[in-house]
Amino acid sequence: MAVTTTPLTETGHPQDPVSIYEKHRTDLQRAKLGQNILFLLLFFGMLIFSIVTSQFYPERLAQAASRVFEYFGTIMPNLQWDLLFEGRDEQGRAVEGSLTFWYTDLDKYLSLIWETILMAITATLLGTAGALALCFAGSRNLMKNSWIYFFARRFMEICRGVPEILIALIFVFAFGIGPLAGILAVAIHTAGALGKLFAEVNENVSRRPIDGIRGVGGNWFEQMRYGVLPQVLPNFVSYGLLRFEINVRASSIIGFVGAGGIGQELNRVISFYSDDRVLAVLVLVVITVTLIDLLSERLRLYFIGKEQL
Amino acid sequence: MLELKGVSKHFTSTKAVDDVSVTIDDGQMVGIIGRSGAGKSTLLRMINRLADPTAGEIRFGGQDVATIKGRQLLNWRSECAMIFQQFNLVGRLDVITNVLTGRIYHHGFASSMLKLYSPAERAFAVHALDRLTMAHTAMQRADTLSGGQQQRVAIARALVQEPKILLADEPIASLDPLNAKVVMDALRTINREDKITVVCNLHTLDTARKYCDRVIGMAAGKVVFDGPASDLTLEAARAIYGADLGDFTEEMTSTDLDALGRPPAAAIGTAVDGQQLAS
Repeated sequence: MAVTTTPLTETGHPQDPVSIYEKHRTDLQRAKLGQNILFLLLFFGMLIFSIVTSQFYPERLAQAASRVFEYFGTIMPNLQWDLLFEGRDEQGRAVEGSLTFWYTDLDKYLSLIWETILMAITATLLGTAGALALCFAGSRNLMKNSWIYFFARRFMEICRGVPEILIALIFVFAFGIGPLAGILAVAIHTAGALGKLFAEVNENVSRRPIDGIRGVGGNWFEQMRYGVLPQVLPNFVSYGLLRFEINVRASSIIGFVGAGGIGQELNRVISFYSDDRVLAVLVLVVITVTLIDLLSERLRLYFIGKEQL
Repeated sequence: MLELKGVSKHFTSTKAVDDVSVTIDDGQMVGIIGRSGAGKSTLLRMINRLADPTAGEIRFGGQDVATIKGRQLLNWRSECAMIFQQFNLVGRLDVITNVLTGRIYHHGFASSMLKLYSPAERAFAVHALDRLTMAHTAMQRADTLSGGQQQRVAIARALVQEPKILLADEPIASLDPLNAKVVMDALRTINREDKITVVCNLHTLDTARKYCDRVIGMAAGKVVFDGPASDLTLEAARAIYGADLGDFTEEMTSTDLDALGRPPAAAIGTAVDGQQLAS
């Protein structure tokens, strides 16, 4: 096919495609420039406003930094190299400066860490079930009834909008001190947060399998079960495990308001002693969270690689 | 007997299907031909009610299925099987489960959610697959199959529905000529042996001629031809495919292997049809 070429001498003509394009391009760039300057001004205005409001000044930072180190000084254990692995003496007393002395309450910590992990597992399972129940109704492409869609979306927003610690506080009041309140609080937050992520996964599914199931006379639930779920399940598992990691962290904090887990002990040692016991608990929490992260990453990779779910 | 009376589908600016009235007797094999955008797919999707007609009646067995809702609608869809151009299987499920989904209308909530099918249903599904020589793939994931194989699984799914009528929306448009023949042969066998009415959208004239008792031609949402395949003259084909094509020959729409062996048509048109190149 012949391509019509415009002689170069004609490019100055207002009607030729090149000058039309060039004019369009400069117009667009000019319009964008104004917009960019506006955004930049707005950004710096906000930045200055927030610095002033939060009093984020260098001298305050310097002061605080020294105090942070001061605090770490108070929670540092007094370990001595030569005594590090000393056991208990005949009277069952640990030697000061040994690891045994620092971790006198290790059994208590470990059982609370175990409780924390169990809380996270239960909360994740309950929350995922809630998210599964809500996510299909909260997907624009799957739920044609806009009322049900609206309420599913808003309900998930409320679930994840209220901080876990606040829900836990209310449940501690209702159910009493202990892990039950913590589990429910984390589960509710999980249902809201995972439900939104699940719904977003759902909104990217292929329409074809759903049409196939509609075509054989499947109702809405069957369309979701056969047409959507097999497509999204690997993503759901991946997000569920990610949420489990987050929930281990959440469960270790939630004890601050009496909702069970290691947080309860952390709160106790901070407010009563503020000595090396704080660091002892913190180190255990960090180790636990890291181990769970590694484990769930392995699990995620395993599920992604799996042929059929 | 399937009876369409004044069926229309209007979008805001276009009329996809415009006042179509057709009667299809039980046991017929009908081909609907026409250019892309002629309204063939929309018409078929309205019969199965995957799309809702704007106006008109669709009567089957004395019932107007154009307006039914809820459980009645699901019942109609289960009796009126559909084959799609893109197969519309669930790729991540195995073949046998895909076929068994043809039974879900007959299941309660719990058993369909938990994928609990009876041994009799499983046997039925395997038999259906076996008729299409696909039984050996039963435990494989559907997306590991080739296009032709997937379409045969889709036909097996339709068969276990025990449908009264089978709609096929361009079943061979995504397939190579050999697989197209296998799929069309399967549809004709089902029509002859099981006495199931088959309504099939087709791109090509020669496929329609070869397989269908009756051909309906559509252009711009209207029926422009309706009669036995033998009545389909070049003039009629021109009306269906549009006179603006200039010199028009039947081979231009062909994807048939045999068409390659034919001597070149007397007049080679100026218009180039993509399908000719594809074959």
